[in-house]
Amino acid sequence: MSLSRSRTSCVIAATASALAVLTACGGSGADSANKPAGPVTITFWGWAKGSKDVVDAFNASHTDIQVKFEEIPSGTAGGYAKISNAVKAGNAPDLVSIEYSSLPEFVSSGALQDIGDQFTEADRAKLLPQSVELTTLGGKSWAVPFDAAPQAFFYRKDLFATYKVQAPATWDEFRKAAEQVKKADAKARIATFFPDDPTTFEAMAWQAGAQWFKAENDTWKIDTTDAATTKVAAYWQGLLDDGLVHKNASFSPEWTGSLKNGTTIGYLGASWGAGVLKGTLPEQSGKWAVAPMPSWDGKPASGMLGGTSFAVTKDSKQKAAAVTFAEWMSTTEEGVKARIASGTSSAFPAAAALRPVAKKAFDASYYGGQDIYALFEASGASINPNWAWGPTTGTTNTTIKDHFGKITQGGPGITDAVKAGHDATVAELTKRGLKVEG
Amino acid sequence: MKARTRAAAILLTPFFVLFTAVMVVPIGYAVWLSLFTEKQSGLGFGGTETIFTGLDNYTAALGDRAFREGFGVLLGYCLFYIPLLLVGALGLALLLDSALARARRFFQLALFLPHAVPGIIAALIWVYLYTPQLSPVVKAMEAGGIGFDFFSPEGALPSIVNIALWEWLGYNMVIFYAALQAIDRSVLEAATVDGAGAWRIAFSIKVPLVKASLAMVGLFTVIGSLQLFTEPLILNKGTGSAVTSTWTPNMYAYTAAFDRNDYGLAAAASVLLALTAALLSFAVTRLTARNRKGKAA
Repeated sequence: MSLSRSRTSCVIAATASALAVLTACGGSGADSANKPAGPVTITFWGWAKGSKDVVDAFNASHTDIQVKFEEIPSGTAGGYAKISNAVKAGNAPDLVSIEYSSLPEFVSSGALQDIGDQFTEADRAKLLPQSVELTTLGGKSWAVPFDAAPQAFFYRKDLFATYKVQAPATWDEFRKAAEQVKKADAKARIATFFPDDPTTFEAMAWQAGAQWFKAENDTWKIDTTDAATTKVAAYWQGLLDDGLVHKNASFSPEWTGSLKNGTTIGYLGASWGAGVLKGTLPEQSGKWAVAPMPSWDGKPASGMLGGTSFAVTKDSKQKAAAVTFAEWMSTTEEGVKARIASGTSSAFPAAAALRPVAKKAFDASYYGGQDIYALFEASGASINPNWAWGPTTGTTNTTIKDHFGKITQGGPGITDAVKAGHDATVAELTKRGLKVEG
Repeated sequence: MKARTRAAAILLTPFFVLFTAVMVVPIGYAVWLSLFTEKQSGLGFGGTETIFTGLDNYTAALGDRAFREGFGVLLGYCLFYIPLLLVGALGLALLLDSALARARRFFQLALFLPHAVPGIIAALIWVYLYTPQLSPVVKAMEAGGIGFDFFSPEGALPSIVNIALWEWLGYNMVIFYAALQAIDRSVLEAATVDGAGAWRIAFSIKVPLVKASLAMVGLFTVIGSLQLFTEPLILNKGTGSAVTSTWTPNMYAYTAAFDRNDYGLAAAASVLLALTAALLSFAVTRLTARNRKGKAA
């Protein structure tokens, strides 16, 4: 049993010892570079596609600032835990990637610093207002938005044609299309419900006009059971109950496998998904097309699914250099070009002026030369500006994910999961000493 | 005498240094952390303030249904897993001990091999075998008319038990086999002379003689089960299965720290779990000690 014994000792201290050790060897690499002469070196943690190429391009063209890039797992796959721990231990990098949904959580845990003095009003004016709004919390500016992630529907145009299905413009049509696909091929489905990924569902609720987190007079108003969310939940429950969509984990081998063998012929994702599909299924080049997200009334509408910003950690002494680099990535032609030209990124820049650059750099032959950036542009403009994220995204999403996993025919459903997320959010905010209504 | 004391001190120092560094200090730090909570004010964007909250984190953990349900899952896991493990491992050991003399070495190695695979790898392999559209096993089962969803709420526990069995069966079989080998052969010969068959020898002589190792394996497995973490975590991440992020108490602590950013709560949950493990270990040592005493008397 010696093995399980050693496991025991590891686990007893699982949460604590790692921190203790980290604290002991604290003192970041960034500080040592704080010499008067020579270039300033900053460290940057991220996972977005093409980050390495961007850093290389920056380093090649700059002598005053040099960036050390370290790739970390994507946020919810462990990246956020890594960042939080590093901040707690005092050896965090200067600049980190954080998605809009998690930014308030990092701000409220005191992990970041206000960059309003470096990242000015004039800089912000160049960017998509919805993205700027999501990085402005409590009247302060906390991060440089990189992209907006308007929703989009990716589909196999060859199979849609074979099955004589039209790309749906409304959710009613989407359901009909789903029925047609299933009828044409009993194994094929139009899309997938991701039980492991509440953010896709949240983007749908966002699109429908939901507002889960509202900050008013120093009080959080939590409402995940409003009419819009209830409508979306009931709609998806219906698709699940009637077996019109697959239920697989996102980006799992199961999901990719079904895309490869043509039993999943559509993907409800966001702008960055164009690069993901291209990278995951290179052999299906030319077979895919992109359509705007179906909407409830046929008018363009979108939520935001993901989307990255760059934030400076609390203890960084290189704020100016870090913000300079972040702005270079987000707002300069070279920065955006370097990322997109890496081939795997189809990011939709928050900076309006740079979208033509991104469009030019992205090889759209995978989509038969379709002007996907024009589509993202229209979708991006239709992003519902009312949505805000709360400071408990971790708790909210973990709870919803746990309950999504329990969805069974005749058992608990999506509505129950969303309600559980609501309750957990309210409890968490209360525990932190914040005022909550909901 | 003096030299002996010095030698003892020198030889024991590395142990105590390591023990302090990797056991005492982390546990002390966990206890310390568990007494504090990070509080915020307003909308929470003004940063946090760490406040001494005494035992609040403990009451919060104990008051959380998810944490208590974790212990329920462990109980169900033990009731399901331990009988299967004991019967399976002992049965295999008995087989090896009696009939298959020539194939003994091969089976010993083959059965032990899964234990050499790290738990995380084992879990990844099994997740693949459980995944409906990928797995040849699920395909074969469906062809045979058995539809079973390993990721469903009903399937979660059997799925984990199966992985654990695969990992630990061979290991425990070796323990039982060693105990069986230690049995005085003359006893077995006497039984054969008296006309006892193989079954009779197995159940009336061999099993009673290895009862002590049976008890030891059983109790250690209970304590080991408290630490259940890796396998369910893999099933939780990226499968969309019914294994929740707080499925076992260990996972509860992990999620509290790394998904919810509540280190105080995580520390409190860890300390509670450690206490449970300590109490159980204490009970086990007392029990086995009494057993030994009883035998000596």
